[in-house]
Amino acid sequence: MEDEFPFEISPMFEGERVRKGDMYVELAGPKSRGFELVKAVKMDEIKDGKFTLIGPDLSEMEEGARCPLAMVYRIAGELVEPDLEAIVERRNHDFQNYIQGLMHLNQRYDVWLRVSKDAIKKGLNSFEMIAKASMMLFKNELPFIEKIDATYITDLDEVEKELSKAMEIYNARDERTRHLHEEDVDVFYGCSLCQSFAPTNICVVTPDRISLCGAINWFDGRAAAKVDPEGPQFAINKGKVIDEIGGEYSGVNEIANSLSSGEYDRIKLHSFFEYPHTSCGCFEVVGFYIPEVDGIGWVDRDFTGTAPNGLTFSTMAGQTGGGKQIVGFLGIGINYFRSPKFIQADGGWNRVVWIPKKLKYMVSGDIPGNIIDKIPTEEDASDLESLKKFLMEKEHPIVHKWAEEEEAEAKEEPASQVPGPMSVQSLFQIPAVQMPMSAADGSGVKLIFRNAKISIDRVIVKKKD
Amino acid sequence: MSKLTTGSFSIEELENVQIRIGSIVGVIENKIEEQREIGPTPKPGIVDLRDWDYKLLDRYEPVYTPMCDQCCYCTFGKCDLSGNKEGACGIDMKAHQAREFLLRVITGAAAHAGHGRHLLHYLIKKYGHDHPIDVGPSNLKMPVTQTVTGYRPETLGDLEQVLDYVEEQLTQLLATIHMGQEGAAIDFESKALHGGMIDHVGMEVSDVAQISCLGMPKSDAKAPLAEIGMGCIDSTKPVLLCIGHNVAAVTYIIDYMEEHDFSDKIELCGLCCTAIDMTRYQMDSGGKPSAKIVGSLAKELKMIRSGIPDAIVVDEQCVRADVLREAQKLSIPVITTNDKIMYGLPNRSKDSVDDILKDLVSGKEAGALVLDFNIVGELAPRLAWEMAPIRKKKGITALPDDEEFKELTSKCIQCLACELVCPTNLPISKAMKATSEGDLVPFERLHDKCIGCGRCEQACPKGIPILNVIEKASQKVIREEKGMMRSGRGQISDPEIREEGVNLVLGTTPGVVAMVGCSNYPDGTKDLYTVANEMLKRNYIVVMSGCSAMDLGMYKNDEGKTLYEQYPAKFLKGNLINVGSCVANAHITATAIKVAAIFAKRNVTANFEEIADYVLNRVGAVGVAWGAYSQKASSIGTGCNRLGIPVIVGPHGSKYRRALIGKPYNKDKWTVHDARNGEVMPIAPAPEFLLTTAETIEELMPMLAKSCIRPSDNNMGRMIKLTHYIELSQKYLGVMPDDWHIFVRGETDLPLSKREELLNILETGHGWEIDWKRKKILSGPSMKLDVSAQPTNIQRLCKEA
Repeated sequence: MEDEFPFEISPMFEGERVRKGDMYVELAGPKSRGFELVKAVKMDEIKDGKFTLIGPDLSEMEEGARCPLAMVYRIAGELVEPDLEAIVERRNHDFQNYIQGLMHLNQRYDVWLRVSKDAIKKGLNSFEMIAKASMMLFKNELPFIEKIDATYITDLDEVEKELSKAMEIYNARDERTRHLHEEDVDVFYGCSLCQSFAPTNICVVTPDRISLCGAINWFDGRAAAKVDPEGPQFAINKGKVIDEIGGEYSGVNEIANSLSSGEYDRIKLHSFFEYPHTSCGCFEVVGFYIPEVDGIGWVDRDFTGTAPNGLTFSTMAGQTGGGKQIVGFLGIGINYFRSPKFIQADGGWNRVVWIPKKLKYMVSGDIPGNIIDKIPTEEDASDLESLKKFLMEKEHPIVHKWAEEEEAEAKEEPASQVPGPMSVQSLFQIPAVQMPMSAADGSGVKLIFRNAKISIDRVIVKKKD
Repeated sequence: MSKLTTGSFSIEELENVQIRIGSIVGVIENKIEEQREIGPTPKPGIVDLRDWDYKLLDRYEPVYTPMCDQCCYCTFGKCDLSGNKEGACGIDMKAHQAREFLLRVITGAAAHAGHGRHLLHYLIKKYGHDHPIDVGPSNLKMPVTQTVTGYRPETLGDLEQVLDYVEEQLTQLLATIHMGQEGAAIDFESKALHGGMIDHVGMEVSDVAQISCLGMPKSDAKAPLAEIGMGCIDSTKPVLLCIGHNVAAVTYIIDYMEEHDFSDKIELCGLCCTAIDMTRYQMDSGGKPSAKIVGSLAKELKMIRSGIPDAIVVDEQCVRADVLREAQKLSIPVITTNDKIMYGLPNRSKDSVDDILKDLVSGKEAGALVLDFNIVGELAPRLAWEMAPIRKKKGITALPDDEEFKELTSKCIQCLACELVCPTNLPISKAMKATSEGDLVPFERLHDKCIGCGRCEQACPKGIPILNVIEKASQKVIREEKGMMRSGRGQISDPEIREEGVNLVLGTTPGVVAMVGCSNYPDGTKDLYTVANEMLKRNYIVVMSGCSAMDLGMYKNDEGKTLYEQYPAKFLKGNLINVGSCVANAHITATAIKVAAIFAKRNVTANFEEIADYVLNRVGAVGVAWGAYSQKASSIGTGCNRLGIPVIVGPHGSKYRRALIGKPYNKDKWTVHDARNGEVMPIAPAPEFLLTTAETIEELMPMLAKSCIRPSDNNMGRMIKLTHYIELSQKYLGVMPDDWHIFVRGETDLPLSKREELLNILETGHGWEIDWKRKKILSGPSMKLDVSAQPTNIQRLCKEA
């Protein structure tokens, strides 16, 4: 119970910074060693709530000291599985920051903690208190953890020894995450958390598709669904594969149908043009079709300029969202750029014709090497003219597509349609005014205006009798 | 011709010919008809949103505690309405109180709309009808205007029709004040809500017009910091003081000073919202504001009495009625620049600068009414420049010298008459006594609480100029009155709202607290600081505007930093925002509208009711007007109310003697429809009220947290909101709130660190069934947690079952 601790526990301390002058001791961090690790084990392997300390305790540390620290939690429960380790581990950061006077930064082998003098003064004198508080929060938040124990290590040699083992675990986990794809799992997760604001949006989260807001990945969904299977994050049975490339699954379609109350009944997870995923409002990036080059551009929230189509992020973002399927614009989370299935129905990266420089830099590691230099940024193309020119100069794959289509057009006369699989509806009003210029036949008076400014305060229009 | 629209265009056949059509009158319906998705209520009149008002007023019942039992509106009376009596016209107490409140609201709304009209006239003249509206990265340029009227203004000229609408509505509302008409209090209430909504349209027009034309920051999280406080005024230079709320004239002064190399030589400073807008002028591309802020209304008389200003320029709204009288005593010439304040001065608008200057410098005239800004721009700085040496030579100040000071304080006979009339009952007599014994500290403390109204002086039988004594005694602390305020940033941009969306959804941002209104109250700066700091630490977004924004910049922490220097200014969790002067309050309601447009893609055009319904049920925002409540603040608050945003007023706000309070025990009032199928579902009483009073900041803090709870909260949002509600109640009131459990729909709503303890209370104290192994609530809550439910108060928005 909270009252046992000599410190307060509240989310209000999340943003608390322990500055050098207020610091009693620094743990792990860039100038020392440390890590945090959560391991899933069998129920009978642990005694619930047990705490072990290897090395000196807080009370034995001198003011101003810097010490190594490793925090290892073992969790067990009927629903606990190794796939949840990373998710649980990440919460250590949140929970420890709830503790007043304790600052926790970063994760894994980068952790960095500070304990404030104030906290020591109020009676925080052992790691056991911190570990017990953390374990309590773990169990409260994630009731699938039926048993938990903690081992904290402050002995440098021991930390080094365990760190090398931990590194192997981190690597193995990363490996699994990287190689886990839609075809490897039977369930996806739906997230309806944002329905409190976006009443009709559902995010479908798969190993190849992060939520639009960027906050929920497949593992998060899995953990949350275990905590509360009827909660806002829930399992979706994948069902039959209908379109492997487009990412259409019977299970997803069923859910889409029931949760949108029949508004739409098909979703292709990796398609931009056909039955695209719906968008909420907090997507990090919006994709937009540029019919003139038959390609897709992407623009992120931080980009304040205008894209080659003359529009800003806000304007285009305003066209999508609200949990509706909008063809021509698509909101995504940045991490979706890193998915191997990234809009694969539409040609993946080969269809990408523009992206802001900063965003491109951020995801550059995941852009195929043969195309990376062919995708212009605002420095290369600021309008449609310069965009076309750049794409042609660099021989962007889309250029070949134009050629193919031209050929096709030439064969099937008369073809006058704009190239591309669809035409985007005219979304932006052009203040076009057609003033009928009569008197062209020479009758009546001819007025010639040149370099004139005509200001009409009020036009009175009358019905013809 | 059906495509004829207003605006500018060219015609291909005509070489370099620009045609502009101002307005179209006749059989072609206006622009809005052509646009897509028009909601049901374009340009609503008094009756059009009445159903929505009735829904609100049914749940949030008006409560009146009249200040005065009589009606003195006409010569039938005055009529005693006490004891359920009717007046000569048949009106009863309730209706009359509601009418009184309506009058307050439309007075405030008219002040902003009048301001907007004045500003627009001048801006159109200077920048033209076609000057584009630019508010920064936003898809909805004017969310409030579009939601209410259906217009989507693109240019300055487009704003005229919006104000036409506002003015028409205000006229209609004012007409209903007339004796012997409306008999139902509820319809006066509905009209007041209408007036409040109209006010936000007028405010939006005012601020958007000036942002677009005057180079003010456009949704800029990095708007510069400006100096604030009497202590930062350099009185060795000639000092030019501007007072009011309409910056139009002052921009000419700033321009003139820059062009004529006066900027470094004359100290330009301001009081009230004009001061805020002076620091926004031409700051959209960075830089440091040259003008300084003295403070809010409470500093007006104090600043004049100090004798520091060498010339004063006033415009409109919260400007003391005695500025000319007070200034005249100290040989400070006053220029009035707006027909709302003329002080009986001769109109010199057509005279030459030199002529006016001569009359003012010589003291022949105490001031001048000059409505031509070109003249004001040149006259004011030159006047300060010439007056400074003259006034310095004479050594003019109202403050007594040391000798006089001693004499004055010893004259006090401790009759307490001053304390009786002091609006905050400050211990003046005690301080007088202490001072005569050589202890200045009581007066220094009192100075901080004194709102500078000057009522004490008139009550003093010994004729002691008490305010002067307070100021003289506090010279040391006044010199230290230096702070920083973030200059007003304008709207909240779309990308910011999208970015913040994740936090709102995941509960990392528990809510939005808007601290608005006037700051005319004792300990105001410290109270604002305490509340804002607490809520910021808890990751609430704190939004400031107007006088509150100024006052917040006056209080510093141990390291000498104001909150503006401690917290970033994006629309993100734990950020502190100043939207701008009082007309910028429209950006706060606009943000709630944008949330509906962005996340739910609701059509906002002419669709007020649906948007307000969304805000009431989903957007956890609350307004606070902590200080004395001016008419403008009452219209701002009422506009928030109609949009579904609750407002808490401080002790002074209770003087309007009206509240809109829900009764949590009336279960049948706390239901909504589920828009998915129209089913009626119970909700927690949230928000519990639309307008209520808090006596102390200790009482206020948990109320703020509770006021951010909404029916649609998902479990993460509800958990964090409940966490802060419980914690703030424990921290400031020392107890668990007695109603926390009624907001619990399931175990995942429970605060994380207290989950077991709370489950225990639910089981033993409230008889709920708990599965302790799974830590699950089996029975007890009166409603279900279903994030997909779509709460609405409007049946027509429901799908058929």
